[in-house]
Amino acid sequence: MDSPSKLLLFEQSIMPHANAAYNLARWLTRNEHDAEDIVQEAYLRAFRFFDSFHGGDGKAWLLTVVRNTCLTWRRREQSMLKVPFDEVIHSSGDVAATRETRLVERSQLGNVRDCLESLPLDFREVLVMRELEEMPYREIAAVTSLPLGTVMSRLSRARRRLQECVTERMKRAAK
Amino acid sequence: MTCESANSLAGAYLDEELDPSVSVQVREHLATCDSCAEALAQLGALRADIREHAPYYRAPSDLQDRIRVAVRRADRQGGGLWRWLAMAASILLAASLAWNVALRQSHSSRADTVSENIFSSHVRSLIGTHLLDVPSSNQHTVKPWFNGKLDFSPDVKDLSMQGFPLIGGRIDYVSDRPVAALVYQRRQHVINLFIWPSATPDSDTEAVRNGYHMVHWNSAGMAWWAVSDLSAGELRQFRILYEQ
Repeated sequence: MDSPSKLLLFEQSIMPHANAAYNLARWLTRNEHDAEDIVQEAYLRAFRFFDSFHGGDGKAWLLTVVRNTCLTWRRREQSMLKVPFDEVIHSSGDVAATRETRLVERSQLGNVRDCLESLPLDFREVLVMRELEEMPYREIAAVTSLPLGTVMSRLSRARRRLQECVTERMKRAAK
Repeated sequence: MTCESANSLAGAYLDEELDPSVSVQVREHLATCDSCAEALAQLGALRADIREHAPYYRAPSDLQDRIRVAVRRADRQGGGLWRWLAMAASILLAASLAWNVALRQSHSSRADTVSENIFSSHVRSLIGTHLLDVPSSNQHTVKPWFNGKLDFSPDVKDLSMQGFPLIGGRIDYVSDRPVAALVYQRRQHVINLFIWPSATPDSDTEAVRNGYHMVHWNSAGMAWWAVSDLSAGELRQFRILYEQ
């Protein structure tokens, strides 16, 4: 691909998906600054490897790169911190939630957002792609490199976890 | 079908991701099993809760600008003919040129210049910073805003009760004339509705460009173009509600 047409094609098929890229990165990192850095890095990576994009759905292709960039980023952060990042602690301990409840009233908004934010990454990412991006299973499978059946069962478990969390909070708020 | 398997398939059923034959079995089971039907209703409520209350984080516009600049820089460092082009123009000028050229090159057929214009206006409104001149969900704010700016008065309707809230409007240029663009939202999807006077006889067309659906109709001396990344079905639904 010669350079001008590569740039043009990239701007046409990949640039319009910046919102989807940012939304996924923001939910995966739970942090707006990291999300911005990741999206910018992911776009540069995507441009570098654009020759491997053979048309089709630019969004799913870009989100694959964003997700990989998030995972790399997280590994790097963890090795720098020398503290093993434990999704179980982060998810069941409601770390994000307690931080947020100081800011947000115990409203419905706080509940479902906090709960989604506190789910383990594996669950969070499939829910964000399904419910906020409205992606079909086939595309979620492509982005996560998971078999379709695994996407289906993971979503099912993720929804159950989310529902339990929301119900639990509503009970607590009612007390 | 047992309750256990119906429950494990409920999510995929809700997502319309099951094979038709399996889907029928689930539906038959739900018709006879109150507890499974209740579980499905809860899943539906959870979905509505997420879509209503979990934020969809949109990329800040300065981030989008930074990305464009960074990608262009990477492209120039890649070398080739583009380096000379880029040296000849400032980055911003190159940005707007490249975008237009891209759209023109990819759709060179003259027959549908208008739909091409509509498509590029829609995409520009989403990736740039100029989606709204008048951000307001109030039709009585948006409609008068166009007074004196256009030689016609667009029909501004609030469809928030029907699930398509108005978020504002702007002036755009399509086929070398100023037109009204009303902006509606459906969940995180943006709908641009372009309106201008037109002598074209009444007509109805639909088109798809790069995954964006367009619905176009002429009536009562006006042309309407609705464009969005919504499904064709939902965009048609929008048009019907708007016309009511």
